[in-house]
Amino acid sequence: MPIETSTERPAAMPGVQPPQIEVRRVSKAFGPTRALIDVSLTVRRGETRALLGRNGAGKSTLVGLLTGMLRPDSGEIVIGGEAAGAARSVSCVYQHSHLVPAMTVAENIAIGNYPRRPGRRIDWKAVRARAVDALRPWGLEHVVDRPVEKLEPVQVKVVEICRALAQNPLVLMLDEPTAGLDRQDAEQLFTFIDTLKQKSVTLIYVSHHLDEVYRFCDSATVLRDSRVAADAPLDCLPKAELIAAMTGEAQAENQSRWTAPARRTAVSGTAGIGLTIKNLSVPGRVHDFSLQVARGECVGVAGLDGSGKAEIGAVLSGLLTPASGTITIGDRRYRPRDVRTAIDAGIGYVPPNRHQQGIVPQMTITDNSTLTAVRKLSRKVVPGVLSALWPSDCRRVFERLAAQWDIVAASPDQLISQLSGGNQQKCVMARAIATHPEILVLQNPTAGVDVAAKASIMRSLEDMLRRGLALVVISEDADDFVLASRIVVLNHGRVVDELGAEWTDRELVATMQGGLQ
Amino acid sequence: MNSDLNGTASAAAAGARGASPRMGLAFLGSLRELVLVPVIVLLLIFGSLVHPAFLTWNNIVGNVMGGTSVLAILVVAEALLIIAGKFDLSLQSTVALAPMASAVLVVPTVYGGTGAELSPFLGIAIVFAVGLAVGMFNGFLVAKLKLNAFIVTLAMLILLQGLTIGISNGRTIANLPDAYNFIGMTRVLFIPLEVWIALAVIAGAAYFMRFHAIGREIYAIGGNVEAARAAGVRVERVVFGLFILASLLAALAGLVLTSRIASVSTGQGANIIFTVFAASVIGGIDLNGGRGRIVGAATGVLLLGIIQNLLVLLEVPPFWVTAIYGAVILVSMMLGAFAGYLGPLVDALKAGGEKTPRR
Repeated sequence: MPIETSTERPAAMPGVQPPQIEVRRVSKAFGPTRALIDVSLTVRRGETRALLGRNGAGKSTLVGLLTGMLRPDSGEIVIGGEAAGAARSVSCVYQHSHLVPAMTVAENIAIGNYPRRPGRRIDWKAVRARAVDALRPWGLEHVVDRPVEKLEPVQVKVVEICRALAQNPLVLMLDEPTAGLDRQDAEQLFTFIDTLKQKSVTLIYVSHHLDEVYRFCDSATVLRDSRVAADAPLDCLPKAELIAAMTGEAQAENQSRWTAPARRTAVSGTAGIGLTIKNLSVPGRVHDFSLQVARGECVGVAGLDGSGKAEIGAVLSGLLTPASGTITIGDRRYRPRDVRTAIDAGIGYVPPNRHQQGIVPQMTITDNSTLTAVRKLSRKVVPGVLSALWPSDCRRVFERLAAQWDIVAASPDQLISQLSGGNQQKCVMARAIATHPEILVLQNPTAGVDVAAKASIMRSLEDMLRRGLALVVISEDADDFVLASRIVVLNHGRVVDELGAEWTDRELVATMQGGLQ
Repeated sequence: MNSDLNGTASAAAAGARGASPRMGLAFLGSLRELVLVPVIVLLLIFGSLVHPAFLTWNNIVGNVMGGTSVLAILVVAEALLIIAGKFDLSLQSTVALAPMASAVLVVPTVYGGTGAELSPFLGIAIVFAVGLAVGMFNGFLVAKLKLNAFIVTLAMLILLQGLTIGISNGRTIANLPDAYNFIGMTRVLFIPLEVWIALAVIAGAAYFMRFHAIGREIYAIGGNVEAARAAGVRVERVVFGLFILASLLAALAGLVLTSRIASVSTGQGANIIFTVFAASVIGGIDLNGGRGRIVGAATGVLLLGIIQNLLVLLEVPPFWVTAIYGAVILVSMMLGAFAGYLGPLVDALKAGGEKTPRR
């Protein structure tokens, strides 16, 4: 192998750099589940490699193997010329924060690797100095003494990256780095990642967002069903082929079907008024918001974090009581008090974050999917005194919901925590319609869900529209609005624009960020 | 519709509909909560071999079950709270306060009463009124004011214990009217009434948790309180109600205990909270909330009762009993941990070897 023959443009010509990571025919199984089968890949110094695949394709396992958290059953992993496990030379920034919220930024960056003074005392001055050094390139020195819980989401991400880099890794791995960030923060993070690239840091970029992948990455490794489905420079791998590799060839056509044309064919309301919101206000958050959604219509509410869109969702779901405004469902007045009141008024609700407000991990998929309806499903044993919830009734309802949402599971009694993200989300969706609502309010309905599950969810929602439900989709992800006949865009609590059915991604993003005025 | 998704979906649907492959393994559903049963059976065999009086009706039903009826009622009360992700340390003080407050208002001054000399039946009502009041207060502080359950109920444990000593001047009240001793003196179908009461409490709670909407909501609250709230569970109301229910059960336990020993002492119930937690955890109640079954907790009580009984029968020197009891609890916990390891195995068996879609 020719080493260092080309020194003039190392980042642009990764092919000739020495390999930093070599994964050679690695397999890994968990019990009967084969998570990786005969996987090989090579990442060269200075390269940015995308690691792609649907949920359950084996990405997490490969990440675990590379960081040394897991050991391969067969095959070998060589990192920087040494067998993996000898030195922890791959650092990973995980999707969910691994920082200690109550500790300061400096303490978090030094954690596990404290500079010492004689007597093994921690050298707090050095801890702080190191942290300042680490934060300087990002222009974030001023947060060094702040507890992590007081940081902005994007700052937390940067601190995570600083901590990872503080271990002087040969390779830095970023797992869904923009998850939980709004567009603005994501853009800021992108410039940081560009800085890393300029420094020729070897990166592995794990993401569902193909735009980000094409923006940063030199090459991509696609996993599908525990095997490598594609491994090529991105120049030679157009988006359609990449998606085909992720989903299997058969789905590629299907994929393009729901992204663009579905929007055009979105069912428009014909069957009367579903939801009317008039002059809704939440102090400091939402000002004078009005909206009308017809039955069989899907309306999007878009905006960045803090734009007030989350509060509108919370009000509709009953979790938040507004200061003023009226809400009418059909011709009945709805007064938000709590979620039960909302359910009784005919509102189904999909919360923004399934881990926080969606799933109960200890419960089965049946119990999770029917949780909203337990009281309605109860049978009166002694009227007024004793009621009972028969498991068979829940099972029957779950089977109907599972069919509607295409929930894939081994058994109705499987714990929800054992399902993939997409199927968990479908259970949260199922829970929302288990009460037969007239209005369905969805916040970030496809967050952290793979391409195929997104398509499946949108198909099911299309079905709901056809049955005359009114849909309110609250999100900032353009993918979530494919069914919307119009999108109301919020900025700082006020409606700044309403986009018709012909909206484009770029228009949406620009409007959300307050531009295009 | 892609073919891959379709295929697996219909497979799952078939699994859901076709009950026959699951029926054979349905008993495994209760395995985790009955994991102590083999241990109990072994202890019964062991006991019958080492002492002739052990495996007799009177010993098992009268001493073992009768002797643990108070514990059983308290364990049910605590287990309900733990499953909801809360707990109440002050239950043990309610065991003393509820009957004591009642007793001082009923017995004449010569026996330590206040002189009110209320009717015994009103007195029994007062036992539960005290339970209700304590439960409402705890529930208000924890569910409505969102104070930390540990600190609130620890303070209440001390406060209620002090109240018990205060209202009784630290004395034991022994000359109680017959109404108080009724439970301890009555047998129905050769089984002491207190055992019937404990069994009824266990059965009622088990039914409630398994077949009632609120039971399902309690599991959801303990598993993920925000998810429960977003699904329409009125969390504060349910938790408030649970604190009241738990204190009422503690008052009942206090009445049963008073009835068994035909007196009320200021120290009754003292330190029993540790055993209550031990039995709950041994019985598979997850201290993190959201997991565990009432029947399992009841087997935990039975196990501890049998061991305690054996220690007495084997004439273990009383000075050693406490140490052995502690060790037994520890070993049982380790068995419980073992049961935890069995859990995933059970799930795997129930899934019938089908590939578990896992990220």
